[in-house]
Amino acid sequence: MPNRFIRLFPILFLIAGAAFAATKPAVTRKLDFPPIDYKHRTLANGLELYSVQDHSTPTVAIHVWYRVGSKSDPEGRSGFAHLFEHIMFKSTAHMPAEMMDRLTEDVGGFNNAGTNDDYTVYYEVVPSNYLQTLLWAEGERLGSLTVDEANFKSERDVVKEEYRFRVLAPTYGRFFNAIAKNSFAVHPYRRPGIGSIEELDAATVDDVISFHKTFYRPDNAVMIIVGDFDQKQLDTWVDKYLGTIARPATAIPRVTVQEPVRTEAKRVAEHGPNVPLPAVAITWLAPSASSPDAAALNVADAILSGGESSRLYQSLVYRKQIAQQVNSSADLREDLGLFAVTSIMAGGKPVEEGEKALMAELDALIKTPVGAAELEKAKNLLLTRLLRDRETNDGKASALGEAIVVKHDAAEVNKGLASVQAVSAADVQRVLKKYVAGGKPVVITYTAEPAKGGAK
Amino acid sequence: MLIAAAMLMTISTLVAQEAIETTPPPPAPPRAAQVPQPSEKTLKNGLRVIVVQKRNVPLVAARLLFKAGGEADPAKLAGLADLTASLLTKGTATRSAEQIAQQVEALGATLESGAGWDTSFASVNVLSSKLPRAISYLADVARNPTFKQDEIDRLREQNVDSLSVAMRQPRALAGFVAARVLFGEGPYGHAISGTPESLQQIKRDDVVAFHKTWYRPDNAILVIGGDIDAQRGFALAEESFGTWKATGPAPAAVKTEPLQPKRRIVVVDLPDAGQAAVVVTRPGISRLDPAYNVASVTNSILGGGYSSRLNLEIRVKRGLSYGANSAFEMRRDAGPFSAQTQTKNESAAEVASIMLTELDRLATSAVPAEELTPRKASLIGNFGRALETSNGLVTRIAGLALYGIPLSDINKYIGGVDAVGASDVQSFSSSHLGGTQASVVIAGDAKKFMDDLKKRFGSDTIEVIPVKELDLNSPTLRK
Repeated sequence: MPNRFIRLFPILFLIAGAAFAATKPAVTRKLDFPPIDYKHRTLANGLELYSVQDHSTPTVAIHVWYRVGSKSDPEGRSGFAHLFEHIMFKSTAHMPAEMMDRLTEDVGGFNNAGTNDDYTVYYEVVPSNYLQTLLWAEGERLGSLTVDEANFKSERDVVKEEYRFRVLAPTYGRFFNAIAKNSFAVHPYRRPGIGSIEELDAATVDDVISFHKTFYRPDNAVMIIVGDFDQKQLDTWVDKYLGTIARPATAIPRVTVQEPVRTEAKRVAEHGPNVPLPAVAITWLAPSASSPDAAALNVADAILSGGESSRLYQSLVYRKQIAQQVNSSADLREDLGLFAVTSIMAGGKPVEEGEKALMAELDALIKTPVGAAELEKAKNLLLTRLLRDRETNDGKASALGEAIVVKHDAAEVNKGLASVQAVSAADVQRVLKKYVAGGKPVVITYTAEPAKGGAK
Repeated sequence: MLIAAAMLMTISTLVAQEAIETTPPPPAPPRAAQVPQPSEKTLKNGLRVIVVQKRNVPLVAARLLFKAGGEADPAKLAGLADLTASLLTKGTATRSAEQIAQQVEALGATLESGAGWDTSFASVNVLSSKLPRAISYLADVARNPTFKQDEIDRLREQNVDSLSVAMRQPRALAGFVAARVLFGEGPYGHAISGTPESLQQIKRDDVVAFHKTWYRPDNAILVIGGDIDAQRGFALAEESFGTWKATGPAPAAVKTEPLQPKRRIVVVDLPDAGQAAVVVTRPGISRLDPAYNVASVTNSILGGGYSSRLNLEIRVKRGLSYGANSAFEMRRDAGPFSAQTQTKNESAAEVASIMLTELDRLATSAVPAEELTPRKASLIGNFGRALETSNGLVTRIAGLALYGIPLSDINKYIGGVDAVGASDVQSFSSSHLGGTQASVVIAGDAKKFMDDLKKRFGSDTIEVIPVKELDLNSPTLRK
């Protein structure tokens, strides 16, 4: 998902992180998996507070998840929710622009934010003695964001550079950007969260003010605090700085668009400059992240592309040597998802060969039940990944936020482990039959731009 | 009456507390962080074993390092160290590549190997309950790789394909070129991954010889961090590595000569590039340089983090980029200093000028205390957070051990950074950062920035190389 800031320049697969993020839960019998022990209350103004105490380091992670993401971009303003996220680091009634950095980075912490299709999350990790300061600051930008024309335009230029950085400069940026666009027919998930230069240029300061008023309200926010704090003190501060913000009387607009079932297969040819190796993606519509089928799809994903012993790697990269890189993803979102397989071809290998081999691997997994050892391996892989994701306070807060906002059930942060453990070989076959064999594929190929006519 | 007055006072205090501050509430007193303490032991065969315990999550990271990497590549065989290290997991005397992947991943573990500068490594990340098996796999791939010809050919083709992609990305291209500009034909001058041409030159015998020369217990360090105590770590190391023997004396590390490169301004023309990558580079310092802490603080001010000067000037004030940063890569010998960003092609020259101006500004004027203090705090905070994961902890300890720095230095970092003053930063910057001596490399769609660049730097000084004529095997960079 687009972030406010990234420290390192990613090389190849910007989308890979997002795909893995959707592949969360797991457990195995023998392992003592520490649950996330959270407390929850809802304030009178509708703000939800979740808290998890962990005193092992003197730091605290502060997350605020707003239930608004790119799918709520206004018409003709693709990329707006993300642009807005950047503006949230500018001024408020009592904070000048970039003060959030003074309160975090300058005292040894950090901040960032990210815009997903379904939510926007703002987060800080600071020495725990700064908790009160940051709760004040989060109250400020929820309650009294201000924005001036100069800051708005400059930050919009930053976001346009982010678009170039993510989509235009990387070899496969346009390819990954094209997947959602071609995979959803009507749901706003089809619009790229990063937007486009034209629609970003169309955005105004008035759009910012109206978006804040519409979506940034206490009853649309989930605050998650993980780390070194005293519960009573936290409650007092949250009541003071966030509990005093009024809940508007108006209703929060929600995306209710229903994506229709695909009735036919579709093929799309996309092109870009500087593409030495062609690529192909095949997608199917999949259920939402809260579906009972989610766990089995995540296991199927791990069987197909988790590690070098996975089926796609072994077949396309290792044995056939037709692919340079392969991936699959169970990209399950709040409303519905995509199941996808992709291949960046090896030098001289055509996309048709990749498409055939990807389909052959899916067919094999549908026709023959996966063996016990391979199933266990996939589950172990998911579990270890999950544990590593939760090593820090920040990681725990992210896991909890995703369960609350995308899966609509905080308890899922702990229950999800058992549901992956319960997945059987027959479950994997059943969900692939239902969504892949029983669905209609969209095939997206990505190749070098056809030669422009005439020598220059 | 008295009671009533007291009650009233309490209420009025409460009301006063309820008023929301118009300035940020100040922090409470800080709580001290605990820095995990490493233990170490050297096995009879010379293998140095370091264990650092951290109990909160049942995970362990183990990394086996060898004290030789890309700098030990023979002149025409760039990429040999990386190819050798990557081949470790592609077959041993008792396991095929497929079996290794299957057995490791059945544990839910990841096993990785590769080479960097000054080091080659293999590492595992695993649940602590499954560490013994994982360590035995780690030992097997390091000690008994077979380097089968078909695996060498397969990996070579994969690496050539990866390079073909990297050569079309502005950032990667600029990085490859910057290394040649700075280090010429020296040991740090090539890409770690090699080039498509150098990879074709590498024979199986070269790989076997590289492994035989450098992969030996008395040239290795095993660092285990996370949910494990020292005695158990030492016992596991003895079990998997105790019988490993070295023959003859260990070779000395490859030395690089101090550098005085001529300033160059190089443009790699990549038509239709989606952005231009701009890199400003100079020789930096060695990891063993006494100025380590000063260099770290200096970089934190200049380009280490969101509120560093480069990001403020290029992104926050001017909206010219998604991010700009800089780094001293401190190696056994002086590595590069480089500042980098990506911007739309049209603003590449402007961004290069801003970067050089910022380098000069640090060298010519003192950093105000109100800037120095937060940049030091930011550095110290990053240090603490990096130690929160088993992987981060192992990385930090490995970085000390690789260069023979006492492990107790982990306790001195915070104090060392705190002690750096504005005059230290300025005098270090004037000898190491002045912009007029820095080289500039831009990879992008040249027609969109060349006019501007010529105006700023003069057309005589700029070398423009079309990407099709670029030769990364040569310091001239031309075919």
